[in-house]
Amino acid sequence: MPSLTQDRLWSEVVILEAPRRVLRVQSTRDAFLCLKNHWPLADGKAKREALAACDRVIEGNDEPDAARAAFIKAAEEAQFRVNSWTGA
Amino acid sequence: MAAHEDRSIRVRDVMSRQVFTVSPSDTAQSVARLMEEAGVGALPVEAPGVGTILGIVTDRDILASVVAQGLSTSTAVFEFMTVSAESCEEGDSILLAAQKMHEYKIRRLVVVDENKHAAGIVSLADITRASPELGGLVLGGISRQAPQSPPVEGVATCQA
Repeated sequence: MPSLTQDRLWSEVVILEAPRRVLRVQSTRDAFLCLKNHWPLADGKAKREALAACDRVIEGNDEPDAARAAFIKAAEEAQFRVNSWTGA
Repeated sequence: MAAHEDRSIRVRDVMSRQVFTVSPSDTAQSVARLMEEAGVGALPVEAPGVGTILGIVTDRDILASVVAQGLSTSTAVFEFMTVSAESCEEGDSILLAAQKMHEYKIRRLVVVDENKHAAGIVSLADITRASPELGGLVLGGISRQAPQSPPVEGVATCQA
């Protein structure tokens, strides 16, 4: 598990919508916690890849938006509706 | 434990060095997720990229200033944090830290270094473990109804 005393902000917020739930995520650490503790799917390929991407980013081995892109794929896998201000 | 022993115990001897910090643009819900994961009820707020401590946000702030007010859980931390929260330094005595907790009726202080970066957190529970008598005095002061007269200064005048 990465050191959660560190965080790396994203360039843009991601908003995930599901019935009766809205998750607003704008950093790598928060994405990691959503995936780990608040995710509707217990397992999934995109989820595993997103967790690994968050780990790399928090440890400083990748850019924050790599975690953001992987997180969006995991959200789609979990059938969240994904929104962002620019649609990126 | 006698007061002279409380003076000899330093904040560095009892504080927690693992500090989770948040940024002013983080949201109430992201802070709540971090509090849950870290098992803490208060997080220092730091300026991103600079590291200077700007204040503190507590679980009570989220309840009272966001949930109870009917605000969105995407409300940013800077809208409900305590700005310029009281802090102490590693070399301060736990007696001094306890006096601040008593005076401001708070249970945690951010420990800052010479650059005003977070070096740790010291809680009333940390002080109580080192000095049950001192911790009890502070807790008694915090739990009491607010006095009609101005706050009493110093722990020596606290009532159990």
